[in-house]
Amino acid sequence: MSIELNPGIPEGPLSQKWDNYKANMKLVNPANKRKYSVIVVGTGLAGASAAASLAELGYEVKSFCTHDSARRAHSIAAQGGINAAKSYPNDGDSVWRLFYDTIKGGDYRAREANVYRLAQNSTSIIDQCVSQGVPFAREYSGELANRSFGGAQVSRTFYARGQTGQQLLLGAYSQLMKEVDKGKVTLFPYREMLDVVMVDGKARGIITRNVTTGEIERHAADAVVLATGGYGRVYFLSTNAMNSNVTAIWRAHRRGALFGNPCYVQIHPTCIPVSGNYQAKLTLMSESLRNDGRVWVPKKKEDCKKDPSSIPDEDRDYYLERKYPSFGNLAPRDISSRAAKEVCDEGRGVGESGLAVYLDFRDAIKRDGEAAIRERYGNLFDMYHEITNENPYRSPMRIYPAVHYTMGGLWVDYSLQTTLPGLFAAGEANFSDHGANRLGASALMQGLSDGYFILPYTVTNYLGTHAQDLLKKVDVNHAAFESAEKEVRAEIDRMLENGKKGKRTVTEIYRDLGKVVWDKIGMARSEQGLKEALAEIEKLQKDFDTDLLLTGDSKLNKNLEMAGRLRDLLELGALMARDALERKESCGGHFRVESQTPDGEAQRDDENFAHVAAWEYKGKGQVPVRHQEKLVYENVKLSVRSYK
Amino acid sequence: MVPLSRLFSSTLGRKYLMGASGMALVLFLVVHLLGNLTLYAGSGEAMNTYAARLHALGPALIALEVGLALTILLHIVTAFQVTYSAKAARPIDYDHAKTKGGPSKSSVGSRNMIWTGVVLGVFLIVHVAQFRFGPTMEDGYTASVSGVMVHDIYRVVVEAFTQLKWVAFYVGSMLFLGFHLRHGYWSAFQSLGIINPRWSKPIHAMGLVIALLLAFGFLFIPIYIFATQSGGGNA
Amino acid sequence: MMSASQSKTINIRLRVWRQESREAQGFFEEHELKGVLVDMSFLEMLDVLNEQIIKSGKRPLEFESDCREGICGTCSLVVQGQAHGPVRGATTCQLYMRTFTDGETITIEPWRAKAFPVIRDLVTDRRAFDRIQMAGGYTGAKTGPHADANAILIPKDLADRAMDAAACIGCGACVAACPNASASLFTSAKVTQLALLPQGQADRKRRVIRMVDQMDKEGFGSCSNLQECEAACPKKISIQNIAIMKQEYLKAALAADFRAGMGSADGGA
Repeated sequence: MSIELNPGIPEGPLSQKWDNYKANMKLVNPANKRKYSVIVVGTGLAGASAAASLAELGYEVKSFCTHDSARRAHSIAAQGGINAAKSYPNDGDSVWRLFYDTIKGGDYRAREANVYRLAQNSTSIIDQCVSQGVPFAREYSGELANRSFGGAQVSRTFYARGQTGQQLLLGAYSQLMKEVDKGKVTLFPYREMLDVVMVDGKARGIITRNVTTGEIERHAADAVVLATGGYGRVYFLSTNAMNSNVTAIWRAHRRGALFGNPCYVQIHPTCIPVSGNYQAKLTLMSESLRNDGRVWVPKKKEDCKKDPSSIPDEDRDYYLERKYPSFGNLAPRDISSRAAKEVCDEGRGVGESGLAVYLDFRDAIKRDGEAAIRERYGNLFDMYHEITNENPYRSPMRIYPAVHYTMGGLWVDYSLQTTLPGLFAAGEANFSDHGANRLGASALMQGLSDGYFILPYTVTNYLGTHAQDLLKKVDVNHAAFESAEKEVRAEIDRMLENGKKGKRTVTEIYRDLGKVVWDKIGMARSEQGLKEALAEIEKLQKDFDTDLLLTGDSKLNKNLEMAGRLRDLLELGALMARDALERKESCGGHFRVESQTPDGEAQRDDENFAHVAAWEYKGKGQVPVRHQEKLVYENVKLSVRSYK
Repeated sequence: MVPLSRLFSSTLGRKYLMGASGMALVLFLVVHLLGNLTLYAGSGEAMNTYAARLHALGPALIALEVGLALTILLHIVTAFQVTYSAKAARPIDYDHAKTKGGPSKSSVGSRNMIWTGVVLGVFLIVHVAQFRFGPTMEDGYTASVSGVMVHDIYRVVVEAFTQLKWVAFYVGSMLFLGFHLRHGYWSAFQSLGIINPRWSKPIHAMGLVIALLLAFGFLFIPIYIFATQSGGGNA
Repeated sequence: MMSASQSKTINIRLRVWRQESREAQGFFEEHELKGVLVDMSFLEMLDVLNEQIIKSGKRPLEFESDCREGICGTCSLVVQGQAHGPVRGATTCQLYMRTFTDGETITIEPWRAKAFPVIRDLVTDRRAFDRIQMAGGYTGAKTGPHADANAILIPKDLADRAMDAAACIGCGACVAACPNASASLFTSAKVTQLALLPQGQADRKRRVIRMVDQMDKEGFGSCSNLQECEAACPKKISIQNIAIMKQEYLKAALAADFRAGMGSADGGA
């Protein structure tokens, strides 16, 4: 049976759709607001801002996070900045241009109306954050400073040193803590969400596990918001945090929420390469380095193990400058990443593993002096030195692409509601806004737009619309809670019980999964590779079910948490392979080797694939069903992205 | 307004009291040392004159002394409270804690303010008993200053400091004073929040100067007297 | 060149703190680890140790980490008696095995403070920091639309100073390193950030009074100005912030126009 995917885009011209939504939405009387409760899972930019905003409106909010504190969410690690169409530099920016850049950057695979609303909200985000005391960089005039970022020809990025994500998150966190102090938000730290509870077709609660005590708990509410981030950790090695995972949105998916575009993954070109099989986490080196660094590999394979400074210029291949003369070293992320993979596949990669390219500052240092380079990138150079024990002022950095962000996520309509009524998804957890590739400095913008400026309206609209049903309160003793809790318990008990007999640790299976997904659903995907991936993941799933080695008890046990997450990631990996297999075109971060131009660039197929793929879960081991939401472009013309 | 009782029982409030009383005590020490410089005059007249003038203040002197005693008491009581709260805040200690250096002001002296303080407290009791409540005019310690009979405090001092054990006791105690002031002086400014990045370093450096001046200013007195008087006294 | 250091390995002996639960008695457990690559991060070394423990059928060592790039403030180990280990300006996750020598015995302990009780092994409960933050670490601004961001001009130097204080990652190393287990550096960083900025003025007095009150209630010790916190702070936050907090607190406490209003959220001047 096909599911009707109605994005629910309001009537009217693009620029008035959001206003129209607000004009027609249902409201909730201020005195009635306290009768409603909303669960918000996750406390990153989207979750913390949503929880604070909803609480300020008057709803009773319950906020959940896996850490000790809401402040540890992974939004904290975002470095570069946040885009906003403020046009303070007077350089031709506008809401339209931010919208257009984002649609184009996403390779025409995002919904117009959502992206336009994002661009509209962007300016309010900056105003809001400044009012919270976020210490953005300033000019001597006292005005806010801007810088430019990839994929744009204007300076619209606001930043707080290299810690923009941290400062924005602490701003949202402080708002959240204010509401906790007022008693409007109840915090539930140390909780991992393990299921969504559906009562009479509506999301009415969640099941959580207290990771410190192991207690399984039931929480009821009138609406549930998932703001639990992306699933880059399916690759095992990524720039995501150790505790980032797919579990919350995957469990919602298992309950019936469709999963949109799982194969859209962003691979960031400048990360510190993997240096051993013990590694657990990769570190990003800011995109800004490519302003002065030149990317190259040796022309001859036999030079790859030589000291790079001994290789003369004529034996170096500055391949980005060669292939993309007009953008050169600043080619967009997806394109630069793929180019690095190509040269390494040719056997011209450098370093111990042969999986790295040089990012060389020799010429910049010669031109501007070491002091100037230190001034610009000192902290990044120090970080590189600290990790690799090599001095990048003397020898070139070695970099390689790594998984950084996932554009896919739970399918949501214009109101950020999933296909399960009353279940909303925000931030990286949903699939919206970035299409097949995200531009730099747009993730922070989206998280805060969703939390501060969209959910407060759309959740209200939902509560107002379903007031009659929702005012009949559901209690945690309802049969639906009972059975959901039972399933969760059974799964944990099974893992602990099976874990006594097996031989393979969680990390071992996880690492294998990461390798399969990276090799076959990474920067280049082929039909054959994807089919192999499906088979290999199935084998790993079997390993997990029958040969898992798990020690410790059901109280604080990181390994048990990881096992539960791995279980979901294994299923997700298979879904990504299927999605990539079905999308027989190349677009943004999704590159199918069968679909490329004669000179090796991504070849889109707008006729057959200008749609969102939304997958329906059919049970463990069952083949999921693919649904489509057609993407309608009324305001921009689909064109080929060229950076030559 | 916050009730004073709460203000001064807070962790910050206690440090205000520590800092303020500490500063008052440093001021007292400076005045005390200046007064004691009369001992270097070689004869008792300067010292006895100074002492006589102080005593001429009458009730005002008593008030000052009571004030001083209360300040010291406050300093001591707060110090024990701070130390107790610190111990309570870390019931289980590290296997072996080690400083990371850098800007740290952790040193044997700064970590052991309570112990240098205890030594100074003991010293104070002895010192006050010995000189403030020592031999009086009734005991025959009189001298004539400009024809007036006064208390010969100079003789009390000389009698003490011509004995090696007292010299050693005083010199030793003053070394503890030095360590106490090395951290205490700068710390008082920090505790009261009357410091800024520009002045922090100079004030900390000044702490060393103050510590050295006061400690050595005081400890040379017994040495000087021992050196100049004990030989003469025996002759 | 690069390969030389990459393949270099050392053998180490670990003394790690094991504690079953908050109430249980803790103890040091010894492990030997051979062939540790010097380019491994410290936490990756512990990952390897845990694989070894799991394979022997025992309960793995619990320790916290998340971003592993020094910004989330989750990792929290006292290594060789030093909060976050021997390297200044770094978190535990930014510590590398090349810092240690072959044959070295490395002692690993949790943050030790009454206000940070051990949950298990090396994991402590740092929610006390959240409660301090809750007591006033925010501006009163509501969420939603606001005046244009450039309507408030903030001198660059002031914005930079506020940012210096705002860089705190809330890891608790200041408490761990302080001989008194004082939370002054953490609390003062937030007080200072908001006291400096125009956005923080409206509730400036109430904020410092309430945050200090909460800090005291949590059972942290008082500051003895040893500056151990600054030395251990991975973001090198200055104790100048503590001096500012002391001024702020005194001024607020003595201010005639400040009506404590501690109980109600709408109180204050």
